[in-house]
Amino acid sequence: MSFRLNIPVFLLVSSIFYPAISQAEYGDVLINNYSDEAGMRPVVFPHWFHRIRFRCKVCHADLGFKFEAGGNEINMLKIIDGEYCGACHNGEVAWSVENCDVCHSGKPGTPTQVHHSTTSKLFTLSSKKSKGDK
Amino acid sequence: MESLRKNISNLFLNRIALKVVCILLMLTTGSLHAAVEIQSGKSIYDVSCSGCHAAGVLEAPKLGSQTDWDAREKQGFDVLQKHALKGFKNMPAKGGNPALKDSEIVNAIKYMLAQSGFEQYKDKPLSKTKTKPAKKSAPKKIAKVKLKPSKNIRTSSANRFNRLMKPASELNLAPAKDGLHDPENEGTLLLQPPKQAFELLSSAKSGNRVDWVKSLENKEIFPRYDRLSDEIKPVVMDLNIVREVKGSMPNVVYPHKQHTEWLDCSNCHPAIFIPQKGANQISMASILLGQQCGVCHGKVAFPVSECRKCHSQKKNLKTGNK
Repeated sequence: MSFRLNIPVFLLVSSIFYPAISQAEYGDVLINNYSDEAGMRPVVFPHWFHRIRFRCKVCHADLGFKFEAGGNEINMLKIIDGEYCGACHNGEVAWSVENCDVCHSGKPGTPTQVHHSTTSKLFTLSSKKSKGDK
Repeated sequence: MESLRKNISNLFLNRIALKVVCILLMLTTGSLHAAVEIQSGKSIYDVSCSGCHAAGVLEAPKLGSQTDWDAREKQGFDVLQKHALKGFKNMPAKGGNPALKDSEIVNAIKYMLAQSGFEQYKDKPLSKTKTKPAKKSAPKKIAKVKLKPSKNIRTSSANRFNRLMKPASELNLAPAKDGLHDPENEGTLLLQPPKQAFELLSSAKSGNRVDWVKSLENKEIFPRYDRLSDEIKPVVMDLNIVREVKGSMPNVVYPHKQHTEWLDCSNCHPAIFIPQKGANQISMASILLGQQCGVCHGKVAFPVSECRKCHSQKKNLKTGNK
């Protein structure tokens, strides 16, 4: 129990020494194709939350999401026209686009990635898609 | 005779001393327990309550906002407790987490009240132990003493057990603490903490620490197969494909069944796998690079560290031990 008392301190300390270490959920996709440039926080897509409610097929077959982080080149125009996220996030199936900061909630400057993926563990993130890299 | 009497009285005194020690011990451990209780109120809040009470979702009283809590607190603690345990308006019974014990809910309420400016709840768990105010400094000291060993564990990480493994308390962190979300963003506080969602699901050792296939089989989750309808059911294909593997590793049994529960045929065929026996060269190297099985496994489906989930068919090895 007393362990827990120290966790905030430990996290603080560890975040100073290992700024790259993030404890995010396995499968969380961070999408930063355009966000940094536009002065918005990048988008965090929580896979786990969505797979509790939908099977993979709904997004990856019916809605046409490619199996590639940042590979769908989603922008807000597509979303308000009912494509990609906008197929559900339209105020009918799920909450609508006015809740900007619920999706745009990532730390600014974070490159596009699938969080905790084997490939991102094996290789340092390439700058291929990380336009937001400093 | 005199010495016997002395002995007896000594024995008697010893017993009293023993009792005093016992009572003191009980008191100190009791107050220690209380210190632990406060902490568990916070940890319960972090996991099960913060989803709504951090941001005030659905008119939930916000942590830290005395005005939100004032009217509720005035109804009396028993009413608050009853509403939290049995549910009231938008507040689901036990915050929607029936696995929590009543005492844990009570601790969480006290924690939220204490954090929202109701000082009296800070001391409440301590007062249970019937220690006089003068003694209050004692439990603090004990709590500090108890902290020391764990501090040593943290600082002397060289000799720490399972140095490279994350303890359970550092898994499935709430969005504001996960290092990926911006804690300064208001929307971050609206997001559900993963632990809250995972508590009642079948657990696994890797990935999200959730066994998604089992959770679906056991009907712990009901993911839709259609964007709009709950009625449309997946077309499940029950066909196992056995792939023989070089060396001593067991053969791979690929189950279409579990995959078609989640996916459409077109997700894998023909772009990732040519639907023909012997047409696909698969290697662990390409999987690790995020190709073939690695398109999902190692990104969102269980990672490659779960060797035995795929390599599951025993071989009859000539020289191998069975």
